[in-house]
Amino acid sequence: MSCDDVDDLTAYVDGELPPARDAQVRAHLRACAACRATEALLRDTVARLAELPAFEPSPATRRAVLAKLDALPMSWPERMRTWLRPAVLWPSAGLVAVLAVSLLMPRPGPDAPLALEDASVMELAANLELAEDYELLGLDSMADLEVVADLHELEVVQ
Amino acid sequence: MDDADLDAQAMLRVAAGDRRAFAWLFDRYHASVARFALRFVGNRERAEELTQDIFVKLYRNARAYQPTARFKTFLFRVATNHCLNEVRRGEYRAPHAPDADDTEGREMEGPRGDRPDAALEGRELERAVSEALAGMSARERAAFTMCRFEGMAYRDIADALEASESAVKSLIHRATLAVARRIEALQAGTVPARSRA
Repeated sequence: MSCDDVDDLTAYVDGELPPARDAQVRAHLRACAACRATEALLRDTVARLAELPAFEPSPATRRAVLAKLDALPMSWPERMRTWLRPAVLWPSAGLVAVLAVSLLMPRPGPDAPLALEDASVMELAANLELAEDYELLGLDSMADLEVVADLHELEVVQ
Repeated sequence: MDDADLDAQAMLRVAAGDRRAFAWLFDRYHASVARFALRFVGNRERAEELTQDIFVKLYRNARAYQPTARFKTFLFRVATNHCLNEVRRGEYRAPHAPDADDTEGREMEGPRGDRPDAALEGRELERAVSEALAGMSARERAAFTMCRFEGMAYRDIADALEASESAVKSLIHRATLAVARRIEALQAGTVPARSRA
């Protein structure tokens, strides 16, 4: 090393030189008072810098950054994560399942028999039949009403 | 798993949209980034704004992160590029000295801040460093700050600056010597009165 390789002095102080180069600089320093003075100045400076106070940013910085992220449009991975949250996923999956089942169930045609398990439908059908009987027989007296009411029992007896 | 691996894993989760992982990385590194920004622009409010911008940029560019690189290096590359761009726009040129006048901030007190003369020394030292930083090129300032205040190795600084280690060695040497001369002048009482006021 020569005094022209002064760049190496700071790297030497920082312990950043490869071993061979480090040894060369150390040897030069033993022989060169000017470079020794520069080395001492650099070491003192590095030590003084450690005395500088640390800067602690305001806690508001964190809130501000997270708020800025919230304002960003969601990326696809974020959207996927949002959709896959259990609070969203399970109700959505349930709704989709209900829709799928209702779409896949065979629909009754116009001539299909009414579902027997539907009580309201059965009641409506019975009343319609009764109305047809009234129309067929005519209603001249209260006795006719009784006849109509017992009409189907008579058919069964026959 | 060491800290670097944990950082890398967290950053990969951030790339997948995990904000809790981002918050974890923010808590680990925001003070470092804020210190870097402060040394770069010399103004606390602006440093905090830059810190916010840098982390938002980090989040948005998370998918560019390759786990082969150290996370801190990646983060400081984002920070350096952002600060360099800000300086190139000319908005933050040489505002270093004013904050050195700040005598009300508790953070201006150094380790020996309980003695009035030591506190004064701390302020003078802060001023000398701030003025030296203001006189450096942006790349010298970035390299110096990463080395002296973040303790980063030359190799990592070279990665962050996308420069050779040899170039970084020169940048750090010139910057450190500039600060050394400034402190030397301060101790010798040869700093101009305008600067010392």
